[in-house]
Amino acid sequence: MAGRPVRPTSAIDQTRRMLSLVTYLRERPGARIEDVARAFGISEDELVSDLDVLPMCGTSFRGGDLLDIDTDGERIWWHNPAALGADAAEPLRLAADEATALLVAARAVATLPGLRESDRQALLRATAKVEAAAGEAAGASSRLSVTFESEGGVFADVDRAISERRRLWIRYYSPARDEVTEREIDPIRLVSVGHTYVEAWCRRSEARRTFRLDRVAEIKILDEPSAPPEIELRDLSEALVQPAAEDPEVVVEVGPGGRWVAEYYPHDSAEELEDGGLRITLRTPDPASLRRLALRLGRDGRIVSPPELAESARRAAREALAAYEDEAAARAAGGAGTAAV
Amino acid sequence: MAIAKAERLMNLALCLLGTRRPLSKRELRASIEAYVEAFGPEGSPGTDDSFNRMFERDKDDLRELGLVIETVESLDGEVGYLARRDSNRLPPITLDAEEAAALGLAAKVWQQARLAGAASGALQKLRAAGLPEDVDPYEAHSALEPRIPVHEAAFEPLMLACRDRRPVVFDYRKANAAQPEQRHVEPWALECWRGHWYLAGFDRDRGAERVFRLSRITGKVRSRGGKFTAPVPDVVTVRETVASWAGETADRTAVIRLRSGAGYPLRARATAVRELGDGWDELEIPYGHGLDAWLVEFGPDVIVREPAELRADVVDRLRAVARG
Repeated sequence: MAGRPVRPTSAIDQTRRMLSLVTYLRERPGARIEDVARAFGISEDELVSDLDVLPMCGTSFRGGDLLDIDTDGERIWWHNPAALGADAAEPLRLAADEATALLVAARAVATLPGLRESDRQALLRATAKVEAAAGEAAGASSRLSVTFESEGGVFADVDRAISERRRLWIRYYSPARDEVTEREIDPIRLVSVGHTYVEAWCRRSEARRTFRLDRVAEIKILDEPSAPPEIELRDLSEALVQPAAEDPEVVVEVGPGGRWVAEYYPHDSAEELEDGGLRITLRTPDPASLRRLALRLGRDGRIVSPPELAESARRAAREALAAYEDEAAARAAGGAGTAAV
Repeated sequence: MAIAKAERLMNLALCLLGTRRPLSKRELRASIEAYVEAFGPEGSPGTDDSFNRMFERDKDDLRELGLVIETVESLDGEVGYLARRDSNRLPPITLDAEEAAALGLAAKVWQQARLAGAASGALQKLRAAGLPEDVDPYEAHSALEPRIPVHEAAFEPLMLACRDRRPVVFDYRKANAAQPEQRHVEPWALECWRGHWYLAGFDRDRGAERVFRLSRITGKVRSRGGKFTAPVPDVVTVRETVASWAGETADRTAVIRLRSGAGYPLRARATAVRELGDGWDELEIPYGHGLDAWLVEFGPDVIVREPAELRADVVDRLRAVARG
């Protein structure tokens, strides 16, 4: 399972897990460590650390029994399941946060337009059952919602190509160059982080590339088999665009009206300026692609370095202004309406 | 070494779940090893306050993971605690293998620690209740990996405030403001759209509904006492508000000249395209807030024809860039 964030277990998480474990193990004498860890979505080490704690637990106020649970490293044995009264080991109701976390995620996944219809139906059925079982605890889940964006038709084709292991032909728009290019790609996986992307091996650049589905202008499934080289899947949880350390540095200074740049562009640093603006340092393999940004910023910011990038934005603006002037002059000469420049 | 908190919580939970009569604080203190170790037997001088504080926190933690703990006062005035089976039992729920796989996928999408923990906790409770476990969700769902990103520090306190309907106060810097401003808000709902989180709520300073972008909240979110003063609407519309910021509620039409082959996204949005023949096309596109900034990105490949107001805005922006 790739890309799963690793995080430390809190005492609350561990307690709720152990409460469920007790119920689960009671029904399954001799359960295998491997199977239990998989069923609980935890590592075997985490499970073993729970098994170290459980023998210290019990309903000791009766002067009684600690749970006699142990393992031979492969299987788990509980020698005194009667230590908990029959009803003290029943499955517990869902907490409000648990119901919210599961229901909001399930509703979000159901919004993925490319989800297979049978999977969506299963998800909707499951959501309704969990809502019913959660009862009041499900109420607060309406206060949180998530919508995934993805282009339905493109998604379905990519999904099919992945499951049938076939190559794709796409026409793809690259905003950095403002151009649409054709490429053949071997799709590896679909990732939804706000927008939906396909990670693929691009046959044209012979490299791993990530394509945003809403920028795919056209798509075809080819007959050739897909044959991406064995590559290690990265954890995409932080950012899909991961600049390399050797990429050239770009420095942008923005006024208060350009602070959004820091929200949209992954950057190394954003220093506060006295006028309420920011000095943002970022890295990109292709600084020329930031000409768009320089043009968009207008009076709200400027490129400090590299100087060639700043100059290319100025040149583009001057060219455009010249075109407006030519047109205004032509209109005036032709007497066709009034020019706005 | 002090006894781990998880062990203490687990013992407290099992005691409260296992009993049929309310247990007094005194009984619980004497029978849970972690309390005995930390505070000694009851009556140890000067330990009552710290024991009471820990006991209250522990009960809150157990309630956080869903335990319903009742407080019962006996005839002689002693307070006792118990977690009744009836109020803590998961109602019967039967899910087939496909439904289980779908939930397995959903439980993995959170990238926020608290919600990721809560989602796995929910799944584990369902597992204990017999949720089928044969199907690997990743196999069942091919290569799809949805993820809900949460990078904003304000998320967790706001989520709890929405859940508990608690007013909050935070510093908020509007998109174009130099300085943040303090806002007093009754938070209604959080929504994630296009990878960003937004809060909808009642803005007490403005006396009206407002939508806030979480990444623009600076500093800490603090809770305020008291109740909501404005009614919470049945349906909260975050997305419509955000779409109007993003200029997606265009109500007019603009006419532009676009160099052949350039500006694919403009073409994708055009309502009409006409070839002019000299290396240029003429497009009609929806005109809403923010179109001027977008058109400037295309530099000399776009010339605005109409309306005059849009043309003037674009020329203004180009002049600012040309001056550098």
